[in-house]
Amino acid sequence: MAWFDRFIKGRPKSKDDAKSRLKLLLIHDQVDLTPAQMDQMKNEIIEVISRYVEIDDDNVEFRLNKEEDGVALVSTIPVRRVTARAAG
Amino acid sequence: MRECIVVTSGKGGVGKTTTAANLACGLALAGQRVAVVDADIGLRNLDVILGLENRIVYDLVQVVEGECKLKQALIRDKRCDGLYMLPAAQTRDKNAVTPDQMRQLVADLKEAHDFVIIDCPAGIEQGFKNSIAGADRAIIVTTPEVSAIRDADRIIGLVEAHELPEPDLIINRYRTGMVQRGDMMNREDILEILAIPLVGIVPDHEDVIISANRGQPAVFDEGSVVGQAFQRITGRVMGQEVAFPDFDAVGGFWSTFKKWMGLTPAREVM
Repeated sequence: MAWFDRFIKGRPKSKDDAKSRLKLLLIHDQVDLTPAQMDQMKNEIIEVISRYVEIDDDNVEFRLNKEEDGVALVSTIPVRRVTARAAG
Repeated sequence: MRECIVVTSGKGGVGKTTTAANLACGLALAGQRVAVVDADIGLRNLDVILGLENRIVYDLVQVVEGECKLKQALIRDKRCDGLYMLPAAQTRDKNAVTPDQMRQLVADLKEAHDFVIIDCPAGIEQGFKNSIAGADRAIIVTTPEVSAIRDADRIIGLVEAHELPEPDLIINRYRTGMVQRGDMMNREDILEILAIPLVGIVPDHEDVIISANRGQPAVFDEGSVVGQAFQRITGRVMGQEVAFPDFDAVGGFWSTFKKWMGLTPAREVM
């Protein structure tokens, strides 16, 4: 019922787009990493973690957050199985 | 206390020169002795905004190179006592002046003026470094747009890297109607992102263009909403507590009715 949602919530506000894009932009300006470098870092981290646990690759969340005093790297990596594969 | 304030933004075209001109005139109208300096060497415009373009004899570069005395280059604004402008050179480039020379120039200007206002060029290169060299504090001008706010954030970092105190913010070209519709970031949105003190909001209004056409800053016109905004800013810059009008309040029935009837242009209500 998309039309109903629109009726209740009104038109999506373009200022919310502006604000969220801006926040992301400023974090990236501060960290000075290109999206390609971010992707590479994400893949390398996933690769390391995958050596120890089986993870759900498709649902990995990976982003930079602006915190009170700087930038935090926030990631959620769902684990499928905790059996150590590479340990032995 | 004598003070040098640089008006800067990073991004071009957000209203630095208009702000510097109105602030300088506002301070002079309030009885301060003011020197306003156009530091945009090669692209001078402050003279035009102030309507003083026909009276230029010498410029900033000639002063620092010793070709003329500072007093000879300063143009007195006849509209109010105590207001002087130092024009930029039009035929030179930003590298014609060094930060040390600017520091000296500001020190010399402070001898006879309570406020030295510097109109900084756009960008973060030599012109910015020169403009900020002699400044005691900075005012950052932005508009409620992604690109302008992004550049403002960068400039805030650079201002602090130059060991100036936390800068103040002016939000220019604010459109209440768009804010109410949710199509423009409001003052809280912008302050949440930039996190510096707000010193004023200037509505987006045709008065800015009319006053630029005439070379008569809006602050001289007490009936202008833009002039009033700059009067409030002037007060705050001098350290006075001046209340912020509620720009974002949705108009009542009567103002909505008048708008609907076309009696007041939508932007007039800001």
